[in-house]
Amino acid sequence: MPLLTVENLRAAFHTRNGVVRAVQDVSFQLERGETLGIVGESGSGKSVTCYSIMGLVPQPPGRIEGGRALFGGVDLLACSHRQLNGIRGRRISMIFQDAMTSLNPFLRIGEQLIEPLMIHEKIARTAATDRALAMLDEAGISEAEHRLKMYPHEFSGGMRQRVMIAMALITKPDLLIADEPTTALDVTVQAQILELIRKMQNELGMAVILVSHDLGIVSGFCNRVMVMYAGRVMESARTDDLFYDTKHPYTRGLQNSIPALQMKGRELHTIPGQPPDPHHPLPGCPFAPRCGHAVEYCARGEIVMLEAAPQHGTACLRVQKENLSI
Amino acid sequence: MADSTPMAMVEPAETGGGSSFWQDAWHRLWQNKLAIFGLAVLGVLAALCFAAFLWPNITGYSYEQQNLALGPAPPNHAHWLGTDPLGRDLLARLLYGGGISLMVGLCATAVSLTIGVIYGAIAGFAGGKLDMLMMRTVDILYALPFAIFVILLMVFFGQNIILLFVAIGAVEWLTMARIVRGQVMAVKRQEYVEAAHALGLKEGRIIFRHIVPNLLGPIIVYATLTVPEVILLESFLSFLGLGVQPPHSSWGVLIKEGAEVMEEYPWLLIYPGAVMALTLFSLNFLGDGLRDALDVRGSKD
Amino acid sequence: MSSAETFLEVRNLKTHFPVEKGLLFKRRLGDVKAVDGVSFALRQGEILGLVGESGCGKSTLGRTILQLVRPSAGDVLLEGQLLTALRGASLREARSAFQMVFQDPYASLNPRMTVFDALAEAMQAHAKVPRRELPGRIDALLEKVGLSRQARRKYPHEFSGGQRQRIAIARALAVAPKLLVADEPASALDVSIQAQIINLLARLSREMGLTLLFISHDLSVVKHIADRIAVMYLGRIVEIGPAADVIGQPLHPYTKALISAIPIPDPRRETRRVRILLPGDPPSPLHPPSGCPFHPRCLYAVERCAQVVPALEPFGQPGRQASCIRMIEIERQGNTP
Repeated sequence: MPLLTVENLRAAFHTRNGVVRAVQDVSFQLERGETLGIVGESGSGKSVTCYSIMGLVPQPPGRIEGGRALFGGVDLLACSHRQLNGIRGRRISMIFQDAMTSLNPFLRIGEQLIEPLMIHEKIARTAATDRALAMLDEAGISEAEHRLKMYPHEFSGGMRQRVMIAMALITKPDLLIADEPTTALDVTVQAQILELIRKMQNELGMAVILVSHDLGIVSGFCNRVMVMYAGRVMESARTDDLFYDTKHPYTRGLQNSIPALQMKGRELHTIPGQPPDPHHPLPGCPFAPRCGHAVEYCARGEIVMLEAAPQHGTACLRVQKENLSI
Repeated sequence: MADSTPMAMVEPAETGGGSSFWQDAWHRLWQNKLAIFGLAVLGVLAALCFAAFLWPNITGYSYEQQNLALGPAPPNHAHWLGTDPLGRDLLARLLYGGGISLMVGLCATAVSLTIGVIYGAIAGFAGGKLDMLMMRTVDILYALPFAIFVILLMVFFGQNIILLFVAIGAVEWLTMARIVRGQVMAVKRQEYVEAAHALGLKEGRIIFRHIVPNLLGPIIVYATLTVPEVILLESFLSFLGLGVQPPHSSWGVLIKEGAEVMEEYPWLLIYPGAVMALTLFSLNFLGDGLRDALDVRGSKD
Repeated sequence: MSSAETFLEVRNLKTHFPVEKGLLFKRRLGDVKAVDGVSFALRQGEILGLVGESGCGKSTLGRTILQLVRPSAGDVLLEGQLLTALRGASLREARSAFQMVFQDPYASLNPRMTVFDALAEAMQAHAKVPRRELPGRIDALLEKVGLSRQARRKYPHEFSGGQRQRIAIARALAVAPKLLVADEPASALDVSIQAQIINLLARLSREMGLTLLFISHDLSVVKHIADRIAVMYLGRIVEIGPAADVIGQPLHPYTKALISAIPIPDPRRETRRVRILLPGDPPSPLHPPSGCPFHPRCLYAVERCAQVVPALEPFGQPGRQASCIRMIEIERQGNTP
């Protein structure tokens, strides 16, 4: 049985200027120990998807409008607050982009590290402190004893991120959700942090959902990748298949825009135009206005994910109807 | 596809037509029901009080017209809100007094605004040692007990109503100076100000075209919130007998008089108190609404 | 490079920020050496990519060259004119020759000015343009950066990040500069928009003969647009050379590590590559290490590295320089530490 099953998740924000459908009909499954990458640009809904699963979407103005998120037999979207609290921080942990604002500036690191242990496992302070020390060590933070007494602002960006990872993993969760964990970090530090997450994953045998806008990071780290655009999943496949047998124009467009792969001397490929306005969604495929392959029915049809190849789903109407090769 | 596609093909994702910051802000304010309620109440009150000023006999009675034979009377047909021990019509006094209180509020706020903005702007622009000196002076002045200060001013210079404006304004400018200075320093650091420098614009142009327009938001908000403070201060002074003098009335005077006889003639305290509270609430709602509406960061959400 | 060809010359530029403590009588604790002795020269029309991580001083270097921050020492010469000696009105007037595009498109435009006003102001900063000519010129400028003339009456908040950046570029071009410094112009934008902005800058630079100093933390972007690349670390240039060479055959250990750290969106290559993982964090400019600033994190460091501050030495083809005392050894040994 999969560890996490998300079915038809729908989340919207009811703002002053209208309703923003941040997440529309998102479904996926995650097995134990698997790594899933969710890729998208701003406004794609990738972060809101994870927040919804964790119950972190502020309601109002947000609202979970439908769907299920089954974790160990419990529907996270429908369960009681008490059940959710028992799972969050213990069996599912989350780390965020900016460690500075995710750590409490008023508490010492030691306090924040042992807090999940004391709440979820109800062990004594001294035992918890020992575990915290061991965890800091694992996370590659030297002088752990000394560091326990320090405050978040006394650490560098990379260190803070390590502390956040230590905090998230101290309860040995089954699933780690990492929301753009390295976006705010320098590229050399980024490599370290990803290495750390990978190491911990191997040791604990846990599943990881890695949310990123960076296809490069995802290609080296994840077993499967899901590409999101304007709140919908556009393509979902094993990493190799996504990159070498792309079945959606947006994915191809993203790959083409990345300078790392392109020859110098020619202009960079771009995706013309801009992401759609979430307040005024258009009918049909949200990517159609910018898509080089778009035809007339793309702006009309209903968008659903269909399997175009084994374990390879796409929402592109042309691929579904005509088996268009991208 | 190369970058030659003109962006005209894909219009900016917002509605057409330039909606300026002020238009946006007004739109946001309009949607804040409490703020609009406050604005409406203030509008009505101000109109009534202003009318009472222009036509002192609007209620049929002047604020100072005594009727000793009648004496204190609860609300009735002739006197809608009743009369005080000297037979003066409470409604007339309330409206007239309201006019005085509002005027004191606005004028004193104007005084504190002027002094505060100039002082704060100089400190903010100058920076360095001058700024430090000016702000420490403000800190020291803050420590002085303002009430005693105003009382001293009133005692020394007599009880002129103009002087009342000045005295109160002279005490209230401190916070305005701090706010303006803080805002100037924040705006100065903005990247668009640095960009203006990089373009080679003259200093004067940078100040008046780039910095000043972006200061207005917090200044407006704070000014709106200063008015109720000033009205309260005036009523406190009047309560002590130092503010507005009889036969003039202000809300402070009315509350004082009402408090003295509140056990026997409760209406003399209830009505002035209620109206003043309503006004203060309205000003605060409006001020809060303005603050939300003028927050530059939350422009389109 | 002969002095006749040199368009921009930076000589031993230093920008130090004093760190003081105390209320009235300030005690000097030390200096943050944001830029600590940078020298290079650019030909007209050249694009130099300046790369480095946070704290390396690249943004400060860009601002110092443009005299937005005053240097503590050193010279900047533009077409032979000593910019560092200019003050007041003469500096203001000289600014029409060099402009900047800032990183944050959400902060670099005055929220209370329409696009028309902002561009008109820029145009008239250094030249008297008659009123009736303004609309025409502004439309031409907008078209050049890929915006429609409808943009004229709108306010910055009505545009997306990529569009705002185009407006910022238009503003910088309005004064007809010869040198453009772009400080991470695409970092705050989505990937699919980044490429548009980079293409725009490259095209404009070629069409208008602009000399472009392109600052970024993203080597893969820089490699695409730049003729030459300079790598900065803790206030100094540690390697400089033609772009293809620096990427293909990096000399300095830091450059090697930087290139190795860039994720490649190609699963087979990404999972197979050998990564150089740097220990530790980027250093603080307030407490720089002794000797070579990179030695605490360097896999090739030996004892002498902590004692000697290496200078930029030429290596191989002309124009290639790196500051590592061991670089010749490392090249010979084939990159084994």
